[in-house]
Amino acid sequence: MADNIRTVKHATCTFCGCVCDDMELTVDMDKKVITKAKNACVLGRAWFAEHHIEDRPAAMIDGKEVTVEEAIEEAAQVLAGAKFPITYGLSDTTCEAQRQAVAITDIIRGTLDTTTSVCHGPSGLAFQGVGESTMSLGEVKNRADLVIYWGGNPAESHPRHFRYAVTPKGMFIPNGKKDRTVVMIDVRKTPSAPVADILIQIKPGKDFELLWALRAKVKGKKVDPKIEEITGVPLSTINDLVERMKNCRYGVLFFGMGLTMTRGRHFNSGALLALATDLNEFTHFVAKPVRGHGNVTGADNVVSWQTGYPFGVNFSRGFPRFNPGEFTTVDTLSHGDADAALIIASDPASNFPKAAIEHLKTIPVISLDTKQTLTSKIAHVAFATATYGINTTGTVYRMDDVPIPLRPAFDSPYPSDEEILTAIRKRVHELILSRRGARGATGEAKVASKQVL
Amino acid sequence: MSLELSMHTPPEVPLEAELLTPDRTVGMDSNAVSGIAIQHGNRQVTVGDFFTVKGKGEGELHLEGDLSRVKHLGSGMSSGSLYIHGDVGEHLGAGMSGGKIVIDGNAGSWVGPEMSGGRIIIKGDAKHLVGSAYRGSAVGITGGEIYIHGNVKNETGHGMRNGLIVAGGNSGDFTGVNMLAGTIIVLGEMGIRSGAGMKRGTIISMHPTEMLPTFSYNCDFNPIFLRLMLRALQSQNFNIEDKQITGKYQRWSGDSVEMNRGEILIFRE
Repeated sequence: MADNIRTVKHATCTFCGCVCDDMELTVDMDKKVITKAKNACVLGRAWFAEHHIEDRPAAMIDGKEVTVEEAIEEAAQVLAGAKFPITYGLSDTTCEAQRQAVAITDIIRGTLDTTTSVCHGPSGLAFQGVGESTMSLGEVKNRADLVIYWGGNPAESHPRHFRYAVTPKGMFIPNGKKDRTVVMIDVRKTPSAPVADILIQIKPGKDFELLWALRAKVKGKKVDPKIEEITGVPLSTINDLVERMKNCRYGVLFFGMGLTMTRGRHFNSGALLALATDLNEFTHFVAKPVRGHGNVTGADNVVSWQTGYPFGVNFSRGFPRFNPGEFTTVDTLSHGDADAALIIASDPASNFPKAAIEHLKTIPVISLDTKQTLTSKIAHVAFATATYGINTTGTVYRMDDVPIPLRPAFDSPYPSDEEILTAIRKRVHELILSRRGARGATGEAKVASKQVL
Repeated sequence: MSLELSMHTPPEVPLEAELLTPDRTVGMDSNAVSGIAIQHGNRQVTVGDFFTVKGKGEGELHLEGDLSRVKHLGSGMSSGSLYIHGDVGEHLGAGMSGGKIVIDGNAGSWVGPEMSGGRIIIKGDAKHLVGSAYRGSAVGITGGEIYIHGNVKNETGHGMRNGLIVAGGNSGDFTGVNMLAGTIIVLGEMGIRSGAGMKRGTIISMHPTEMLPTFSYNCDFNPIFLRLMLRALQSQNFNIEDKQITGKYQRWSGDSVEMNRGEILIFRE
């Protein structure tokens, strides 16, 4: 056994939105690997175990190794010269790095979007349209006696989610799971199903209809008797669920991408949030999306408190404008609008629609990623960065908007996202200021002289 | 003499040209119009950088070329006529209060969002959110008329408060969602979940559609206002058969999760 072993207590796993902060990591400091991750789930163990320091250049321009400084200069020149630059990703990095990315996009008057737009973005729209009755997972642990999962499979996607919401013994839930009723609503019987006391299997794509029927029943209104034919759920089951929801002491609705990424999108999330709001006439009821990426909740928070909107924000005019569908990255790429892209900790080249990827290949891309990805391969400027939570410190937000600090295991030879982005921010600021200085005229004077910027 | 603009340089990134409206260009000569500021991505440029301008502003503006990347045309206009000979980009006639916009080709998403008056006529198709509320806003159009001869996509008339939207072709899902009042007519097939969350207002469809479980069937009837309305549409070259004017319509009321005072009328063969 190696001698140079370090133990990191209370480390944080940043793999999924649960952001479990009770990890105990055993680190072989010589080999720079994590040999054991106590308390981690199967996904967390893989996240820690598969992290090695790779032997690749810290910075590359068009596939050729360069110094980090040269790459920062090139990245800043590309971004400052672009007319419609986009910033995308951000969900797998720290809030500190996200702040820098927002500042860069503001300075270069670009368009800012996060991976929220392709996962719970519709829920973001629904929060704005309907409102959100919210809570922290601590409240759920201590109070919730009715837990409903809708359109998600936490046993496989968030294996430790149950430790927050199903199994823990809390102040008013002394017997843990025995004191809770767990309802699982999904289109199929997933590996999460054994946890459920009540399993409701719904016809695919009929979530909105069932939510609407539940809303009507909660309000004491009639529902089309053919509801079973429409949704696959008998009226008696709907009535039973409504009674349980109205009569619980504290109910919670967790919803996944089975709602947000199926037909109806933001209206599905909106219907569920409206149901939670309706139920507050009878009891305390809350709703929460089960977020995927480690710090996607942080991305929403940082972008919201810096710009006023959670994602899909455009700064072309010098002030933030929010319009999902126009300023979200899939749209700016598919329409061929973007002329430069800053991609942080995300791999759109592997998972975006074909039209978007085709356009991405034609524009200069600056990528920051811990691993080599399809996006970093097509990037004009590619930075290799340290992994958040394993190599760098910082703050991440858990899915219930609770900020959690990171305790890194070992150092990386690569700079962090925050260091690279801070350097790019400083350089683009200089470039933009010098351009404005050289122009020496206000916007109005420039227009009067018909001089193109 | 009217003002004629033809695009000489296609934009690399979207153009935003909300100042280019017939009412704002009244009294301007071609030089003055060439100097109007428009937004090219994050840079401010002038109309002359992209368009050749002819004529004098007298309340009639003609635009020519592929304008599919030109956004916000006719935004906030209050009078005059805007003719676009070709396709046009998003936010056409946003917040307009009067005047007329006629498009020969297709339009992008957000046609006439939150308009309060005036008329938009589109000969081709439009995309999502025709006559809708912007995100974060509860109320969509509060007046005016939007006629689209082709198809429209989702959320047509989202949050509509008043006015008329006519789609000659098919509509997508959530037609008239969260509608407060007003009228939407879809002559083709209507997508699912029409009228979800509607408080008042009328949605009319010429083909059977899947109703939400919170709507209830009332009766079959032939409302007089509809006859008048369909005859008026017939005169505007919408394809309306006589049996649709004289025939009966199923009346469904909803949405019961809201006030239940909205209606969906569906033509019965």
